[in-house]
Amino acid sequence: MSKSDLADETKTEIQQSGPVDLLIGVSGAMNWAELQQHAAGLLHGLQESGTISSVVIAYPGEGEAFTEQADTDLPRLMSYPLSSSDPASLPWLVASAAQKAICSLAVELGAKTCVMLHSDLEMLRTERVELLTQPIVEQQCDLVLPVYPSRKFDGLLNHSILAPLTRALYGQRIRYPLAPDLGCSARMCQKISESASAHERGEGSLLWPATHAAISNYRVCQANVDVHHAPQTEGLELSEVLTSLAGSAFAEMEKYAPCWQRVRSSQPTATSGNISPQINDGEPVDARPLIDSFLLGSRNLQEVWGLVLPPVTLLELKKLARCAPESFRVPDELWVRIVYDFALAYRLRTINRGHLMGALTPLYLGWVASYVQEVAERSPQAAEQRFEQLAKAYEEGKPYLVSRWRWPDRFNP
Amino acid sequence: MWQQVEDSLRESMDRVFTKIATLLPGILAFVLVLLIFLLIAWMAAALLRRVLTAAKFDERMSSGAGTLAEWTPLHTPTILAARIVFWSFFMIGVLVGVSAFEAASAESGISAYVFAYVPRVIGAAVLLFFGTVIGRFLSRSVLISAVNLNLQYARLLATGVRWLVFVLTAAMVLDHLAIGGEIVDLAFGILFGGIVFALALAVGLGSRDLVSRSLEREAHRPAEAPVEEKLHHF
Repeated sequence: MSKSDLADETKTEIQQSGPVDLLIGVSGAMNWAELQQHAAGLLHGLQESGTISSVVIAYPGEGEAFTEQADTDLPRLMSYPLSSSDPASLPWLVASAAQKAICSLAVELGAKTCVMLHSDLEMLRTERVELLTQPIVEQQCDLVLPVYPSRKFDGLLNHSILAPLTRALYGQRIRYPLAPDLGCSARMCQKISESASAHERGEGSLLWPATHAAISNYRVCQANVDVHHAPQTEGLELSEVLTSLAGSAFAEMEKYAPCWQRVRSSQPTATSGNISPQINDGEPVDARPLIDSFLLGSRNLQEVWGLVLPPVTLLELKKLARCAPESFRVPDELWVRIVYDFALAYRLRTINRGHLMGALTPLYLGWVASYVQEVAERSPQAAEQRFEQLAKAYEEGKPYLVSRWRWPDRFNP
Repeated sequence: MWQQVEDSLRESMDRVFTKIATLLPGILAFVLVLLIFLLIAWMAAALLRRVLTAAKFDERMSSGAGTLAEWTPLHTPTILAARIVFWSFFMIGVLVGVSAFEAASAESGISAYVFAYVPRVIGAAVLLFFGTVIGRFLSRSVLISAVNLNLQYARLLATGVRWLVFVLTAAMVLDHLAIGGEIVDLAFGILFGGIVFALALAVGLGSRDLVSRSLEREAHRPAEAPVEEKLHHF
């Protein structure tokens, strides 16, 4: 977003405004009354802490009545233009576009710290905002990502592909690489803003802040937050979700291949805040329909999988298809190789990318079935450990990815 | 009597040899022109491939969305362009060869006939190429979508779509080449109409009970949360 994209009122406000300590951006359409309600106590609370005196809240829109601000107890409000505000857009695409725009606004304002929050405004409380700003102010972190209290059956795509892939590739042990809430330092905002304007034409692309930070050698921290946002995939086709999220992760891999091939191992990320209590998911999930979806894929998609996966993996998948439902388990090594092979096929365009991600869907459901059966009787903490085990398998399988990436024809076990 | 037979045979043989001798320069001219054009085609294709590789044509083509590589992923744009150039030169070689054949032999009217037919052949080849590519692409799209919708007859559906496109393409190609005339149109109409009619009969008569049971089941299905909703992917 360049300065010319901003509304006239916003441009005037930027010119008139003094130094800004904290810019809080709401990344999506929100309820105005709720924003006013939460923002009222925010300014006082933040000023009490002593480190922040000037706060601006940015919301998507074009000025409207929101800027008529008489209440001095409220932080200054400012609008920013949001290009992907189409309600038909996927929620994370809207959030990414908003985050890029907020970072650009932070650069224009010269904000020292910038916090981007989910549009449900659950995070818009003094103590929660501070969780994202304190590591930047006190520990010189450039990027603060939240750690949400996890449930066993929440964020499965994040735990099975996005987070462990980010960890293995860029060496960052991040729990939620595509979090809707994050805190950025001034230079991190600058980096994101530059990157967003450089890739202006790829408007549907997602923002991967942890990847940007890793590429630039910026310091990343995490903060435990006791917030639970509503799932974003309700009512969406799973293959569409996979195409958008995993496809974007694979596209980032292609873009930063020279960087991640040099990373050897991951480093723990400093995490602040109190660990939130784990939430129990209640009744167990029936894995049978998921296994059926995998079996249907196995019966019909062998020809497509054969173009993407090496013979050894295909053989293991065939063995898996013959397993009894109770003993259906996808080994971590197999799942990791499947993800890596699909990432490679995405890069090589072995088949149409939409088809490729569609063909991954039954395999992903197979992994979900295996995971659901494995953690059915376990506690949420044990499920966490299971994800950690999977993340380690991703790291251990990285030499396989590097070999296949460098020599796709020669190295084909 | 034998003398007359012998003379007659000798005359026939003379006429055959004369005919071959008349055609031989034409055939030689055709082969020579074709070889020259093959050489030119090979050189032009190799040159183009080098130029496009140096200009990183493949990377430029693959950077945008919905590129050529999405449709024909096994062939890079460079290889496709080089092949198009090669076969274009080959076709020109054939046409020039036919002209040379006509000039070097006593046969007349061949090149006019061939030249008139060539655009049809090219059009048919293009139709066949796009028909095959579209058929495979649609078939794979249907297969993957049907599997992800948990349809048990996904493969049948995909095969049906593929053959529908292939049959349509074949009919268009034959029509374009003016082979078969009315028979192709009729056969295609009967085949397509027959398939639709058979499906309508199958659903309307054979599966009437099944369809009504299925509709009833849908109407009375309890509002039960599917398994997927207990799981959240993102």
